[in-house]
Amino acid sequence: MGGRPSATPVEVHLFAARDVTAVMPWHGGERTVFRGLGFHVDRGEVVDLTGPSGSGKSTLLTAFARLNVHATGTFLLDGKDSDAFTPQTWRSAVAYLPQTPTLMGDTVADAIRLPWTLGVRRGGGAREPGDLLSDARIRAMLDRMGCRDVSLDHVPRDLSGGQAARVSLARTLLTKPRVLLADEVDAGLDEGNAEKVADLLKDVARQGAAVVRIRHRAPDGRATRMVVLEDGMLRDVPVQPVTQHADPFGGKGR
Amino acid sequence: MSMDAYLDIDIQGLVVAVAMVLVAAGISALMETGVAKSLVWATVRSLVQLLAMGLILQYVIRQDNVWLVVGLVALMLLAAVQITLGRATGAPKGLVGTVLLALVVTMLLMLAVVAELIVRPRPWYAPQLILPLTGMFLGNTVSALALGLNRFFESMRERQAEVTTLLALGATTWEAARPSMISSIRLGLLPTVAQLASSGIVTIPGMMSGQIIAGANPVGAAKYQFVILASIAALTLVADSIIILLVYRRCFISYDRYSVPAATHQPSVRDLVRRNKDAGARGIPR
Repeated sequence: MGGRPSATPVEVHLFAARDVTAVMPWHGGERTVFRGLGFHVDRGEVVDLTGPSGSGKSTLLTAFARLNVHATGTFLLDGKDSDAFTPQTWRSAVAYLPQTPTLMGDTVADAIRLPWTLGVRRGGGAREPGDLLSDARIRAMLDRMGCRDVSLDHVPRDLSGGQAARVSLARTLLTKPRVLLADEVDAGLDEGNAEKVADLLKDVARQGAAVVRIRHRAPDGRATRMVVLEDGMLRDVPVQPVTQHADPFGGKGR
Repeated sequence: MSMDAYLDIDIQGLVVAVAMVLVAAGISALMETGVAKSLVWATVRSLVQLLAMGLILQYVIRQDNVWLVVGLVALMLLAAVQITLGRATGAPKGLVGTVLLALVVTMLLMLAVVAELIVRPRPWYAPQLILPLTGMFLGNTVSALALGLNRFFESMRERQAEVTTLLALGATTWEAARPSMISSIRLGLLPTVAQLASSGIVTIPGMMSGQIIAGANPVGAAKYQFVILASIAALTLVADSIIILLVYRRCFISYDRYSVPAATHQPSVRDLVRRNKDAGARGIPR
């Protein structure tokens, strides 16, 4: 890094990944999930990542967050290599949101404040998580997601699957990542709440972040770009319009 | 302590003790608990080992040679490492050096504090103090370390989703592993703390009983027992903490990615029995 001659100005993306390869252990041997993939995303974009199950979509997103032990590649944020970041600062900026919500703490408020108990956000450690993230901000975020009925002192394990998924999303969104890697965040939600979450992510993108969503549902009209991961290949496909069945206001199956 | 002050155990006494075990084994065989064979085997082993240790101790105490004492302590340390790793079935391979280091450091601490600061024997290596002390310390620490190591790696495997979520939110390996470290150290220490709290109420610890049976002053015996119980409890915590601090990074690879190494082998029924033994009926100095 830094030592390369840059005769032609290269376009610097918010986030770029090059030469991403994942080789998983497989029945005593190895299986290449994908090899040499490239990807980039810019501010304001909402990219939908689709593909058959087992094609490696989650593997790709965890590779971007540099969490995946089986993946290698070069990852850049504003053109700066991930190796120049500490793992903690990299993951605070390029945030992976797992498909299964894991909420730690005795209350919803505690679960959402967890990121502020970590050194990467506490800095010197003088300030308490409660000072860094107010109740009002948590409340406002939950309300926008259709979680008005979730109180801050709710016990996390009493939440429904859809509520837990949104509390988990709230926790990550409130940390203001620059790139949000959302793994099927709307899988367990009904149409109305899926729409609210989609609007929220669109807003996050408009405010300057990039959003990559793994999705299995019908297109919801929020994506600015769509990519398909299949047979180890990543290809762009035309953005599909909202299909009849997913019409938020038609209410199929509601 | 004169040799004729206490009542010697003759051959008949040993035979009666073995017969009791055989009866117990017979009952458990009838109940098909599957422990009869290991009970008999363990009994034979303990008789042979204890007698051999008695003979060795007698020899070393009579010789009163510093190198003999140091050599025997070193041998006990190596055996302790081997037993710890044999029981810590949930731990990955390659921990020999780490366990040895933790044991050596705490051993030296114990010898420095208990022997040279509290008891102050002459000569400093007095085998009749150093060797039993080492035995009691290692016996306790081996169980605590095996229990602690197993619990730590088990917990790190169970907490996969939690650890991944924490790392994704920007946690360091230390922050992500901390709950497992705490639960491991807590579990490893539990039997020691329970032993400390119950000593003198429901149990008369073995060393104190032995001294009293042998005709020593009970208050003097109590002081000895207390010093040893307290320091062993404290040092078990030290040994446990050292080992967990040294091994927790093994659950992560480069760029702070979560990857728990494979266990040495799958725990068998016998290991589970052993582990239960570690967790439950374990006692400090008997």
